[in-house]
Amino acid sequence: MKTETKILNQENNELDKRLTKENNVVMTDMVCYLRLANISEHDQEVVRQDLLQMVLSAQERGEDINTLIGEDYKYFCDEVIAALPQKNQKERVLDLIDTLLLSTFILGVIHIVISKETMKLIYNAVTGQQLNFQISISGGDLLSYVIIIATVFLIVHVIGKNLLKPEKKHNQSKIKKFIIGGAIGGGLMAVFLIIAWVGRQTLFTVNIFTACVFILGLYIAHKLLQELIIT
Amino acid sequence: MIPSQMLKGILESCILKIISSKETYGYEISQQLKKYGFSGISEGTIYPLLLRLEKNDLIKAKYRESALGPKRKYFSITQAGEKELETFVNNWQELNHAVNQLFHGGE
Repeated sequence: MKTETKILNQENNELDKRLTKENNVVMTDMVCYLRLANISEHDQEVVRQDLLQMVLSAQERGEDINTLIGEDYKYFCDEVIAALPQKNQKERVLDLIDTLLLSTFILGVIHIVISKETMKLIYNAVTGQQLNFQISISGGDLLSYVIIIATVFLIVHVIGKNLLKPEKKHNQSKIKKFIIGGAIGGGLMAVFLIIAWVGRQTLFTVNIFTACVFILGLYIAHKLLQELIIT
Repeated sequence: MIPSQMLKGILESCILKIISSKETYGYEISQQLKKYGFSGISEGTIYPLLLRLEKNDLIKAKYRESALGPKRKYFSITQAGEKELETFVNNWQELNHAVNQLFHGGE
């Protein structure tokens, strides 16, 4: 996030605190919807500030948010998004790369911290035994990484798609719900079994310091992308 | 009630006209529109239009402190906005004349 956008974000976080509980709920949903739209981070924060000032002014006048923007929040947000310049393909690819860099950094840190070799290294360092700085990467680790990233993208996409939609009554039969639930459960079980089976085989080992430098490099690349390219 | 599809196109130029008279802010624009007979126009309705006008450099915006509390975004018209308004007035007069001719036979 560029400095100007960061300042706007901080100002908006302060303005958020002045919202009533009801307005805060609606604003949060709308901001989440805007975050998933194909518009720049800077435009997201500009719109957020405009909306916050509008809602706070309405609060002062004793008006609720529905008087201000109507009851169809999704329609309102879609109108706002349509009025703004959309990100081009290059910007979308950079966004995806940035997300992957940050996700890989976070998952890499978690993997290093909770790996059994790290625990053993700490134990051996404390007890004065011989130190082994190698940590192993298994097929299961790589598969888990791919599944976690794919699942997160899927969840964010589904939530974003349905965020401001009015709630529908579910008319699914019990049998249909049972089949869907069973399929999801069975699918998850199959995934865990595959990970457990593949996970036994170590693909390669890497020095813990090399791994730390690598994931730190990912974080630096993410910060540089945020500061220099992504608006 | 004016149909929304027709209203949308005209509304942008009406907003431009209000802004051309004096530097003003969203809520005041919506109140002005109501005063002239545009019913059901809230600040939220005109916000996407103001955004579009700003992105097209027809108006420029500036935040100012307000005595009542939250800051206000004040809008003023640009040179390109003045030109756009002039074009709209000419087109509107032409359309208005044509419709009047058709419906009232030039009475």
